[in-house]
Amino acid sequence: MNVLAKTAAAALLSASTLALMPTGPAFAETVLRLDEVAVGELDPAKASDYADSILMFNVYDTLVVPAQGAPGLVPHLAESWSADGNSHTFKLRKDVKFQSGNPLTAEDVVFSLDRMKALGAGLSYLFANVDRAEAADENTVTFVLKEPYAPFVASMLRLPIVDKKLVMENLGDGDGDMKDWGQAFLSANGAGSGAYKVTAHNPQQETVMAKSADYFLGVPDAAPDTVRLRYGLEPATVRTLIAQGEHDISSQWLPPEVLKALSQDGAQLLTESGTGGFYVKMNTTKAPLDDPECRLALAKAFDYSAAIKMIAVTDEISQGSPATGAIPVGMLGANPPSNELSRNLDEAKKHMDACRYNVGDQNIEISWIAEVPLEERFALLMQANFAELGIQSEIKKMPWALFAEQVSKAENTPHISQLFVNAVTGDPDTLLYGMYDSKAAGTWQSPEHLNDADVDKLLEEGRVNSDEAARSKAYHELNNRLMAIAPSIYGYDRQSVFAASNRVKVPALSDPSKAFGLDGMGFTFRLMEMQDN
Amino acid sequence: MSPVVRLLVKRLSISVIVLIGVSMLIFTIARVIPGDPARIALGPNATTEQVEKLRDKLHLDEPIYIQYGYFVRDFAKGDLGVSLYTNRPVTTDIAQFLPATLELVIVAGMFMIGLGIPLGIMSARFRGKAADNIIRVISLLGVSAPSFVWAVILMLLFAFFLPLFPIAGQISDTLPVPQRITGFLLVDSLLDGNFRAFFSALHHIILPAFALALSGIGQAARLTRSNMVETYDKPYIEMAQSFGFPARRIANRYAFRPSLIPSLTIIGLDFAAMLGNAFLVEAVYAWPGLSRYGVQVILRKDLNAIVGTVLVISATFLIVNIIVDLLIAYINPRIRLAERGGS
Amino acid sequence: MRRIFYILLSNPLSVIGLVLVGTVVFSAVFADFIAPFPSHRGAVVDFSNFNQPPHWPNIFGTDLVGRDVFSRILYAYRISLILGVVVLAIAVPIGVTVGLAAGYLGGWTEFCLMRLTDVFLSIPPLVLAMSVMGLLEPTLTNGMLAVTTMWWPWYARLVYNVTRSEAQEGYVLAAEIIGASRLHVMFREILPNCVPSIVTKMTLDLGFVILIASSLSFLGLGVQAPTPDLGSMVAEGGNYLPDSWWLTVFPSLAILIAVFGFNLLGDAFRQVLGSDQ
Repeated sequence: MNVLAKTAAAALLSASTLALMPTGPAFAETVLRLDEVAVGELDPAKASDYADSILMFNVYDTLVVPAQGAPGLVPHLAESWSADGNSHTFKLRKDVKFQSGNPLTAEDVVFSLDRMKALGAGLSYLFANVDRAEAADENTVTFVLKEPYAPFVASMLRLPIVDKKLVMENLGDGDGDMKDWGQAFLSANGAGSGAYKVTAHNPQQETVMAKSADYFLGVPDAAPDTVRLRYGLEPATVRTLIAQGEHDISSQWLPPEVLKALSQDGAQLLTESGTGGFYVKMNTTKAPLDDPECRLALAKAFDYSAAIKMIAVTDEISQGSPATGAIPVGMLGANPPSNELSRNLDEAKKHMDACRYNVGDQNIEISWIAEVPLEERFALLMQANFAELGIQSEIKKMPWALFAEQVSKAENTPHISQLFVNAVTGDPDTLLYGMYDSKAAGTWQSPEHLNDADVDKLLEEGRVNSDEAARSKAYHELNNRLMAIAPSIYGYDRQSVFAASNRVKVPALSDPSKAFGLDGMGFTFRLMEMQDN
Repeated sequence: MSPVVRLLVKRLSISVIVLIGVSMLIFTIARVIPGDPARIALGPNATTEQVEKLRDKLHLDEPIYIQYGYFVRDFAKGDLGVSLYTNRPVTTDIAQFLPATLELVIVAGMFMIGLGIPLGIMSARFRGKAADNIIRVISLLGVSAPSFVWAVILMLLFAFFLPLFPIAGQISDTLPVPQRITGFLLVDSLLDGNFRAFFSALHHIILPAFALALSGIGQAARLTRSNMVETYDKPYIEMAQSFGFPARRIANRYAFRPSLIPSLTIIGLDFAAMLGNAFLVEAVYAWPGLSRYGVQVILRKDLNAIVGTVLVISATFLIVNIIVDLLIAYINPRIRLAERGGS
Repeated sequence: MRRIFYILLSNPLSVIGLVLVGTVVFSAVFADFIAPFPSHRGAVVDFSNFNQPPHWPNIFGTDLVGRDVFSRILYAYRISLILGVVVLAIAVPIGVTVGLAAGYLGGWTEFCLMRLTDVFLSIPPLVLAMSVMGLLEPTLTNGMLAVTTMWWPWYARLVYNVTRSEAQEGYVLAAEIIGASRLHVMFREILPNCVPSIVTKMTLDLGFVILIASSLSFLGLGVQAPTPDLGSMVAEGGNYLPDSWWLTVFPSLAILIAVFGFNLLGDAFRQVLGSDQ
């Protein structure tokens, strides 16, 4: 069927070009090729990582989108919104149709929320506080929260709207009225209103997407006609493919050396920054790291400038900038860029002396995630740094899945884990709550198992208070508290760097005034411009 | 019953016993080791309740022999369970990835036979001379490195420094993938009549297949040589030589034939070893075969997928060995006669 | 003994084998003295000198955290050899006992033991080792265990075949007639006749164990950092091809040289001991 469709499309295309410009050059279909790590999860209710976000932001739409080049949110599917206590009401546009042709209505929004909550996967925890959504009429939908939640509207960035009618027609086997909630269908097909529709999807290999002609905002001609998102390519492969002009945008997971080699060959470097950091997380329940003095000693012994040097790509571009505290520069509550953290071995030794353990007797386990080779180098750096304090350590490589399993119990969680964490909606609450609130302990984001009353209180304040200035104050205090008890070493503020061929222009990833400030949003294909070969 | 059929029945029944053993072995290994597959599968945000539900569904809390019973019951229905890694039936996953691996191994097998045996014959014919020594050193070198080392070296030489071959994948990105009929890209593109796709696929498979074949080529050459050298000492060869038969005819006709049988046995084994080594080569060339899937499911403790993958590979291994045995029986009149006499 | 050396030294290929194996063993044993940067076997980082192509004093270049690749290869040899020796020291006795028992006792013992052997032999070696290794934690001990599980059946097969033919020989029958115990016959009468084939196979296998162990660590199922390991060096360096070629090329050649040496030597033994099968 696929082949047939393609042939038909090709035939149509050649027929029209023949008719329109019989003597001109044949109109070439533009193809954008990029890669990400496997697995590409197409079901928007299960989307969690970067690859999933790319798929979600292009195949589906959300009620709001981040403003470009500035903080804040702008209307998208919703024309306007208002809050009244714990209920938030959104007015929807009337002219939006799904790719199936079904109109997008308030019913679909309610369905999308119910589905997200029922499956309980991906980023559904963002909506745990939402009691229900109600459709007042075709174009008005109201979300009712259980408790006040200040950054609620931003969480709408993670609620992709699914075509209810199409999903209901394609329910798979399962118990209850909703059977499988269309999981089987949505893991292989798109059911959104986005600018790109899925034409082929294999979670291990690649997803192929094509321009959707009747997108409600229209898709510019310069945007790629077809996008091929491939999964799990080796860095050496990507490096050569780009150099040979057979690949367009790399994933952000290329090691800095490879990015450097590519840029020397003439590839452009794209960047996306501002929403996350590299965190070295310490298990605060295990000796000797249950003593804050010991943690502070490690935090002071960590060689921050070596870390920055390790991730530098060129003189101007790096995969990160110096950290100033627990909150990345630019986010609510962050310290100014001048407060760079740095290594201080003397202070580290003082903290070490204040620590109640005799550290010579302890052996610390430093884990690194097998899927992220860069972390092995950080593990070695830490092993060398900590050895200067007389601390013995052991390096342990862990596949992601195993890591996620082990952190669920404090006693199985390694002393040290390394994680890249980002604010999934751009708000500090979605960065910090999951990492440091005592109720969130033991998830992949919180291998610290931190239980600190002050931290909990400040996190709560940031959530509930709708006054921006009060929130800012709360997060500043929180930042200080997190520096004082050091559950983590704040390695650096992360910046994603992608190598790209010169066939494509991506303003959202190269021009700060067009940047979205939300991970993955820069890969909105309709805003990309293909150059002629 | 013809002797070949009887041999087939005998070998098949032994294979079934062996496969049952393999399934028990791998089933036990996969289940006695710590780590909760349900928790791993559900990911970081799952609740305890969800984990318990999945454990229950997978019968993880039952004794191991009961679990094995469930496995056998499902297996009889052709069901290997659902992979926790891809959320798809293991049989679907394997059906998708296996053909690419088999294609690679079969082409490598052709290299092994097509290059290894002639090299061995040459070596034996010129034994003691320079040509013999060169071939012997080359074939020993072939045997002396794991296939990933050859894969990396060949890739550096013939894809990076001399860009003669593509470095990764199964077919050029710019070509539409031919319709999936057999799953073997080389075959499908031919059936499709799509010669550009065929040549692209051929172009992509040469380097990885050769890297995979190198140790087999070395092995086949060494073996053919040593068997033929033994045969050369037999009186009938001396007689042929004294009659003044051409050296090439003696080599190909009289010395080679008898040494074919032991070579075939080892080639069967080598072919099977290549099924395992394909994991290494696929990792280097980003070949979309069973390798990445296999490594991933092992790392993720995806029980059903591990058991399924190992079983399928072992079954392929056994089938290849049976085919080799039948070939030998067919070629070797002594076995045919012995079987007949024995009945 | 002298005859053996004479034959060994008369063949240039055997001499090369001897030299290669000698070099590998020597550099593994005396790595502490030969390696220009002995501390680089462990967690040392030097970001002022990382990812550098070969130059003096880092003749094989430096890796991504600034360690000397040459020094790490020498220490990796040490780990490989230890692994090889330990694996064979466990696998050979197990395999030999199984093979002797199956071949000499016959009957149900033979059927069960040899079918068990077949089970292990019909899982491609690498896949079996991977499953064991992947499910356990990747450490040196588990690596040895994984390789051992796949190695003993080959010795069981070998000894079984020899035993079956030897069991019909006159000296065995003679020993049985004078009432020697089964254990005596197996280990005192038959075993000595298996020794030449076992020794030859062991020499060849030392190379192959290194090869398999490096394959496992290439797939990420091997010894953990910062312990130097040839397979993981190749795998890690592979990400930086073709620019940082020295990270892969030298460890690859190191594997090739070691295994090639053991193979040449094994071939030579085979000729000398006349067990050319």
